[in-house]
Amino acid sequence: MSPRLAPAEPGFAGLAAIMAGQPLHEAGPAGPGAEAAALGFTLALAATWVGPAGLFWAGEDAAFGEEGGPYPVGLAQYGVALDQLIVVRAKKRDEALWAAEQALAARGAVVICALGAQGKPLDLKVSRRLLLFAERSGSRCLLLQPDNGPSAAWTRWRIAPAESESEDPRDLGLPAFAAELTRNRAGPSGARFTLDWNAHERRFAERFQKKCEAVFRPEARQA
Amino acid sequence: MKDARWLAIYLPRLATDRLIRSGRAPDDDRALVIYAKQANAYQLTGVDARASALGLRLAMSLADARAMQPSLEAVEADPEEDNRALDNIAAWCERFTPVVVLDSPEGLFLDITGCAHLFGGEEHLRQHIVTRLRAQGFVSRAAIAPTPGAAWAFARYATQKPANLRDQLQASLAGTNEDVAAKLSPLPIEALRLDPAPAALLRRLGLKTIGQVMQAPRSSFTARAGAQAMLRLDQALGRAQEALSPRRPAPMVFALRRFVEPIFSAEAVLKVAEDLCADAAEKLELRGAGVLRAELILFGVDGRDRVIGVNVSRPLRVVKPLMRLFREKLNVIAENLDAEFGFEAARLDVVRLATIDESARTLAGIEETAASAEQISGIVDILSVRLGPKRVLRAQVHDEHAPERAAGWRSALGKAKKSAPVVKPARDGVQRRPVRLFAPAQPIEVMASVPDGPPIRFRWRRVTREVVRAEGPERIAGDWLKREIMRDYYRVEDKQGRRYWLYREGHYGEGDAAPRWFVHGLFA
Repeated sequence: MSPRLAPAEPGFAGLAAIMAGQPLHEAGPAGPGAEAAALGFTLALAATWVGPAGLFWAGEDAAFGEEGGPYPVGLAQYGVALDQLIVVRAKKRDEALWAAEQALAARGAVVICALGAQGKPLDLKVSRRLLLFAERSGSRCLLLQPDNGPSAAWTRWRIAPAESESEDPRDLGLPAFAAELTRNRAGPSGARFTLDWNAHERRFAERFQKKCEAVFRPEARQA
Repeated sequence: MKDARWLAIYLPRLATDRLIRSGRAPDDDRALVIYAKQANAYQLTGVDARASALGLRLAMSLADARAMQPSLEAVEADPEEDNRALDNIAAWCERFTPVVVLDSPEGLFLDITGCAHLFGGEEHLRQHIVTRLRAQGFVSRAAIAPTPGAAWAFARYATQKPANLRDQLQASLAGTNEDVAAKLSPLPIEALRLDPAPAALLRRLGLKTIGQVMQAPRSSFTARAGAQAMLRLDQALGRAQEALSPRRPAPMVFALRRFVEPIFSAEAVLKVAEDLCADAAEKLELRGAGVLRAELILFGVDGRDRVIGVNVSRPLRVVKPLMRLFREKLNVIAENLDAEFGFEAARLDVVRLATIDESARTLAGIEETAASAEQISGIVDILSVRLGPKRVLRAQVHDEHAPERAAGWRSALGKAKKSAPVVKPARDGVQRRPVRLFAPAQPIEVMASVPDGPPIRFRWRRVTREVVRAEGPERIAGDWLKREIMRDYYRVEDKQGRRYWLYREGHYGEGDAAPRWFVHGLFA
């Protein structure tokens, strides 16, 4: 059991630092239409963690096909180093999980295991196995799946897209997320964050209250 | 190679044996002959043992043969089928050596250099092959010599009656070139693998045996009797190289095992594979190379062979990870292994290899990176074996304009293109390209748009989306050679913060049709 550390920094930055030291995390879309955001959040975490041991992205076909295939140019612009990335397209869920377990055996690797919405809810055993494989070799696993069932993950995040911070309707700015921590084995859960992903710095910037208000302005203008 | 050993197989009754074996021959006592049209007449090109005993000979006309034996069964020659049968026999022979050369229409060459000891010596190997071929219904004669030419001559023209078995044994054991020359000299000149014309010419010149050709003055002989006889003689004596192309490309490194008792179980197969890997690893070490693709070939007692291939992403010659790949592959195909009759031999072919750069590992500093790279490639190999190489991928960026051609995925087993452009995040961190791309782009219904600008509202997947922010257009010209229409791309954000990569096909207001809109990708 890892000790319950109080974040050295408040807010998301402190939480992210603790997360980096734990083997298994989970993220999923907050609702229909948020799948791309959930993937973006997961990829961003992976991009901040990845080292020479590489990034494996194992997904079932169902998790790849529906929302379009991963696009290398976009991934690279997003901060994912392509020379460190191995994508595994598994036909079935079992194969995706098996591939993730194999990849987790690599010391220091970061492994994204992406599962589609179809199929049975995940068994607790599944996440326990992933946790075990990751603990054993000091690798990290990000489980991307829509379910909300029991899980051995240290944290679970529900992700929705957030409106751009920019006030200019001709400027999309940085990728932005509304992240809710729905489960946290190392501390309190329930925290909500609005995050901007800066791919160049490979860093999340947290938006604080004042700026959050500004987000709703375009809607108000339309009404 | 100086100590090369070649085994020539001669199948004098291939065409009739093939028919008898497949049950297409008369099942009574009638003789079977094969005929083909030659010079406007039907001639016998094959006779079975009964026909031969009745005095029917090759090159006899079919009419004469029928006159002698009215009841005979005559079948028209089918050289293609004959060749297929020969190829099947050649495939079967690969359990003795990877280098099997087709010598159509009725012969084979086997390079048995360094292989015979596995079969208890050359004579045992030779007899084993002849016996096994006979058991499969093929009459054959075989001989071993230092050159293909000499083996060919001995297989066809050395007397092979049981009484002369000892002579034959000596011939097959002929070690030095002098011995070969002595054994060759009493044989007829046809034993030199000559075309009919030069053979006839030599006979007219009064040269009937190879010995006479050997003694003939070289330069004047070549001038009068053609170069072929001299070349063939030199090849038979090993004075000239002979390039033969094996049925399958010869592996650069291979290891072979033959079992006294057939093996059946997957565990036994794995044990053998491990031994073979160790053998191959030793040979690879001498070359400073590692495996990129290896094939384990299991030779069934039933004559069928199974090939189990594994690919490796970076050259490897350590037995343990190699065995992991074979074990994984065997797990996948275990039910298809079908070892009903067991396997009698196994061979490991290193089909592709590459030099292992030893210096790269020992350099301090990059040691850790090299270890990581090795670890990654080990996982890539395992994943590829189980899921297939097309499912374990690395990104490939191309120097292309059209987004769908600007990048793709390739098997992680292969090598990256050296000249691929490197994409880095923009300094401002802004995404110009989506992380997911639809192939093909999905049509959307634009309900309102700024003329020559982005949509204000659009419908996709039965949901209407309000655009609150839009950037663009980014104009991407299509390949005019492929008649692609120019596209104007927009990055748009809807009310919920979802971001899309949309494009309009063609210029606004061009022609009467409303412009078509598509969503090509999704931003994170």
